Amino acid sequence: MESKWFTMARRHFPHSATHPAPRQGAGSIMRRLLASPDFRAGFVEMLPACLGLIPFGLVCGVGAAAAGASWLAALGMSAVIFSGAAQILAGQMLAGGAPFAIIVLTCSVLGLRFLMYSAAMAPYLKALPARWQHALAFLLTDQAFAAAIRRFDAKDDPHGGAQHFLGSGVALYLCWQITNMIGFFAGNLIPASWSLEFAVPLCFIALVAPLLRDAPTILAALVAGYAVVALGGLPMKLNLIAAGVIGIAVGTIADLARERWTRR
Amino acid sequence: MDATLKLWMVIFAVGLLNYLSRLSFIAVFARRSMPPLLARALRYVPAAMLTALVLPMIMGEATAGSAMAFNPKAGAAVLAGVVAFYTRSTLWTLGTGMAALWALQVVS
Repeated sequence: MESKWFTMARRHFPHSATHPAPRQGAGSIMRRLLASPDFRAGFVEMLPACLGLIPFGLVCGVGAAAAGASWLAALGMSAVIFSGAAQILAGQMLAGGAPFAIIVLTCSVLGLRFLMYSAAMAPYLKALPARWQHALAFLLTDQAFAAAIRRFDAKDDPHGGAQHFLGSGVALYLCWQITNMIGFFAGNLIPASWSLEFAVPLCFIALVAPLLRDAPTILAALVAGYAVVALGGLPMKLNLIAAGVIGIAVGTIADLARERWTRR
Repeated sequence: MDATLKLWMVIFAVGLLNYLSRLSFIAVFARRSMPPLLARALRYVPAAMLTALVLPMIMGEATAGSAMAFNPKAGAAVLAGVVAFYTRSTLWTLGTGMAALWALQVVS
């Protein structure tokens, strides 16, 4: 009986057993995080990747300016969307006059890869409180995902891993806002002969090329690449979404076929 | 539609949908396992979508005539792809790719 009461009490006053303070302010949470070695390690380990994202962030800021965004809207793009691929695409499609629904649809299909990251991340974050899950989900990007999976696999320590993830996510987020704003205001100072815009495809090549290690994935990429060029005549960048869907379908079918083949 | 309003609507719609994708299995469907066919299909989203996104950036608005001419970006991209495949490093990919592009632009 007593133990049941204790469980109930803990459920209703989760802090009462360990922390006498009823509610912690943002300042104290910040101080605790900054004192956490896992948070700091995550932050510092992400800095080389941040260095690589500087040109990407600059180009995104330039793209927002080219799409006619105000500085506040440009900051909105980097702070709310927080996905370079979607920001570049949205900027290009806005500048091209594509309708609202088509822009949102295309960017969402591009964002479907986050579903996969979310599913892969979920088992590691299961034990965490909801607000940690909500915060970490917001910081889930291609780079943070790769770093977090590596860390969770290396050490069986969900809370340390979560603080590490938060540290790397915060580093990326800050770097992203700053570089986007610099790109927005000072992008026109960068000489065109540097071809800085080439940094964007390079960042995606860095993500995609290491994936091309099995036949269905290579096939999915080849078919999508062929389709996006072959369907280049379609308006409003519909060739992108069409090529993506065709590539995903071919990859999935090839995967199913391979499985059936090896089972026999 | 007013351009500023449209821009902000795109920001919040894309931001919200991206966040829901990120949140999906971490919080919303945390108790459910992913349908096997969806899991299989999602594995090919990055390779297919990102390739479709990248290729036009490298090829540019290629027409039949210009496709015949040498494209420094294509050469640099292939080299960067090889480096990315072996090193898995964004910095090395970026460094090699940019250096190759600048060198090829000087040569051609």
